[in-house]
Amino acid sequence: MWRDALAVAGKDLRIERRSRVGLQQIVPFAVLVIVLFAFALDPDRGVLVQAAAGLFWIAVLFSTLLAVQRSQAIEGADGVRDATLLSGLDPSGVFLGKAIAVAVQLLLLEVVLAAGVVVLYDVDVEGIGTLAITAVAATVGLAAVGSLYGALATGLHVRETLLPLLLLPVVAPVLIAATRASESALADTTFEVAPADWVGLLAVFAVVYVAFGLVAYGSLLED
Amino acid sequence: MRKGTSSALTLSLGFAAVVALSATVVLGLTLPKTFEQEEYSRLIAVHPGVAWAAYIAFGVTAVASALWLLPRTRSRTWDLVAGASAEIGVVFTALMLVTGSIWGRPTWGVYWVWDARLTLSALMLMLLVGYLALRRVPADPDVRAQRSAFVALLSVLVVPVNHYAVEWWRTLHQSRSLDMTPSDDLDGEFIAAMMLGLLAFTLVYAWLLVHRVRVARLEEEREDEALAVAIDERRREAEVVG
Amino acid sequence: MGYVAAGYGITIGTLAAYAAWLLVRGRRAGGR
Repeated sequence: MWRDALAVAGKDLRIERRSRVGLQQIVPFAVLVIVLFAFALDPDRGVLVQAAAGLFWIAVLFSTLLAVQRSQAIEGADGVRDATLLSGLDPSGVFLGKAIAVAVQLLLLEVVLAAGVVVLYDVDVEGIGTLAITAVAATVGLAAVGSLYGALATGLHVRETLLPLLLLPVVAPVLIAATRASESALADTTFEVAPADWVGLLAVFAVVYVAFGLVAYGSLLED
Repeated sequence: MRKGTSSALTLSLGFAAVVALSATVVLGLTLPKTFEQEEYSRLIAVHPGVAWAAYIAFGVTAVASALWLLPRTRSRTWDLVAGASAEIGVVFTALMLVTGSIWGRPTWGVYWVWDARLTLSALMLMLLVGYLALRRVPADPDVRAQRSAFVALLSVLVVPVNHYAVEWWRTLHQSRSLDMTPSDDLDGEFIAAMMLGLLAFTLVYAWLLVHRVRVARLEEEREDEALAVAIDERRREAEVVG
Repeated sequence: MGYVAAGYGITIGTLAAYAAWLLVRGRRAGGR
């Protein structure tokens, strides 16, 4: 399974390196969202700096939608179905591989986006370790659940409108937990719930959906 | 999970539901005003009841989806039940939001607060709406059932995580909390009204489920008939021409 | 009392309307 997973992940990342869709389209999109938030929330009123963590994670969520759609699209019109069923690869491995590729791309995007937020919103970061752990825990969960829903929506004409409607409510707890944990790493914030608890929640989310994917991805793709 | 079979079942269910519901309304509206919430605590006969029905609806959708996915128990009925229960769930969840928001009015004077329970209900509503949207996508019935069943399970998996996330966020973080559970020394008549409400709305849910599944089945049969007729006609045309 | 009554009314009304709609659909689809 791991061999198949790394093979698929490697293939996906190689495709990205060649086509650079993530770099040239998804990252700019995320930065654009951050900039638009600044237009909407007016930096002078101080709201932007307070909301920075939340806005960051919302931008990440939107980017996840794009990343997952892209992950499906590179498999061809029928999506990941052909790739798995015809290739003889272990379905769990395919799931893992695609999720890993999405996670890697998201993590890289998050680094860029974090730099953007720090600069554009004038934010002080105090706990970079907390941020890093939060980001990893959240991203694993996002990549796993995103890959699951992406596979489910494969081949549907309405995929572009349906995937956000399906995926965003499910990742709401990730948004809540990641934002609270991130806020505690910024200067001038108080918190009642320890960041470790939030990270724990993110970890539970990730474990649940990775486990579901490992078990169910194969049957999920069967018609 | 009941199968829609006889009218006798739905008539008796319906009768029981109407009786229980009427009793609930009468009992609820005649409850005395409390000190903390004045007359708003009369909603205790309605809000917990519709919330309970919404949770049941959600649970039934999940269980029916699981039963459909297991090859040993796979049956068209479970898919129909899952879809029907989700639709009814949307109705009850919306009512849960409305009654919950009204109940919060005396404390805040506004229509909506981000209290833990209301927030969770709103998320549940969105999960159900997404599920129903997926069911609307045209596809072979088995394919659609498969897809929907998986989405139902994925949606259920997030509920416990959601619960903690929202609870921690809204209850510990803010001092506000919508106190909709009656205080312990509430009179027995409030508890009675609440229990009656639970019973009444459960009966209403059951009646709605049976009818909704039957309607779905009939409409499916209609579609199959129409399709068969259309195929027949084409065949006849082809014979005339050929 | 207005808001509480509204709450009751909306609840009962919505459920009744939904029930009626189901019955109509059932009849239209050739219901028993």
